[in-house]
Amino acid sequence: MSRKRNHLEIIRDVLLAIQIKGNQARPTHILYKSNISSDMLKQYLEDLMEKGFIVEEKDKKENKLFSLTTKGFNYIKDFETIKGFMESYGLE
Amino acid sequence: MQSYMAPQWFYGYDVGFELLFAVITIIVAIFAYRIYKATNQNYAKYLSIAFFLIGLSNIFQSIINFLILTKLNENICGFVKIQSVAYFNTIGAYIHMILFLIGLVYLVFMTFKSENKTILTLLVLVSLLSMFLSSNILYTFYLLSSIYLIIISLYFIRNYLKNKKTQTLLIAVAFLFLLFGSIHFLFSVNHQLFYAIGHLLEFIAYVLIFTNLIMVRKK
Repeated sequence: MSRKRNHLEIIRDVLLAIQIKGNQARPTHILYKSNISSDMLKQYLEDLMEKGFIVEEKDKKENKLFSLTTKGFNYIKDFETIKGFMESYGLE
Repeated sequence: MQSYMAPQWFYGYDVGFELLFAVITIIVAIFAYRIYKATNQNYAKYLSIAFFLIGLSNIFQSIINFLILTKLNENICGFVKIQSVAYFNTIGAYIHMILFLIGLVYLVFMTFKSENKTILTLLVLVSLLSMFLSSNILYTFYLLSSIYLIIISLYFIRNYLKNKKTQTLLIAVAFLFLLFGSIHFLFSVNHQLFYAIGHLLEFIAYVLIFTNLIMVRKK
């Protein structure tokens, strides 16, 4: 059985779900790929937008789309270092 | 207040040690700040502030010890018209103690996982007031530092038990060494040898903290 993901890993999974969809993902795709409940996803998306990791856009049919900002891309790139440091000091 | 506690054979080495501690803690502070910028996690910010203040306190201690050692402070006192050299040394020691203690308070606050800044302000005020209102400021400073280091060490030990990795172990052991160093300093008020032992224990602690940083960066 796989262990429970921590907060930092869930953030990475949400951001990765957006990245693998060519940096324009709908909430349903993120929900499916990140494997969290819809309530949790809503909370995570709001939090990530507030912290400047992602931005919300609209497609031609006015559907919601989410894209990564530079900060979001950097988080994925530096994830292992961030995780290692945060775990060392019990910050996660 | 006793102005220079080091035994004669340790003169100069302590200045070097303190500079090294300052460099390591400021590197960790910069790295923690970068983590804060990448994650917007306030606990990383508190860690960064804590290490920065501890780094500054070490720089201050190093400069003061260097000035005392080289008798430069006597010239500075003449220049700024301060009558007593002891007065100048005491001011320097106070600044070091204030910065170090506030740094530890930030680490203690980080362990609370709280966003309530009132707790932080209260801790800072109570720490500084109890230190400066005490009859033996130096002893109270090391006593408070030891108490805070017990709280911080217990937090990092619990963190290691929850997440058994080399990196978490390094930090837990490092803070235990800092705690032992601080307890040794409690005795160093009267015994010069403990002053040197305290520095050696601190040296091991900061090397472990730096090793952890290298391991994290290699990931």
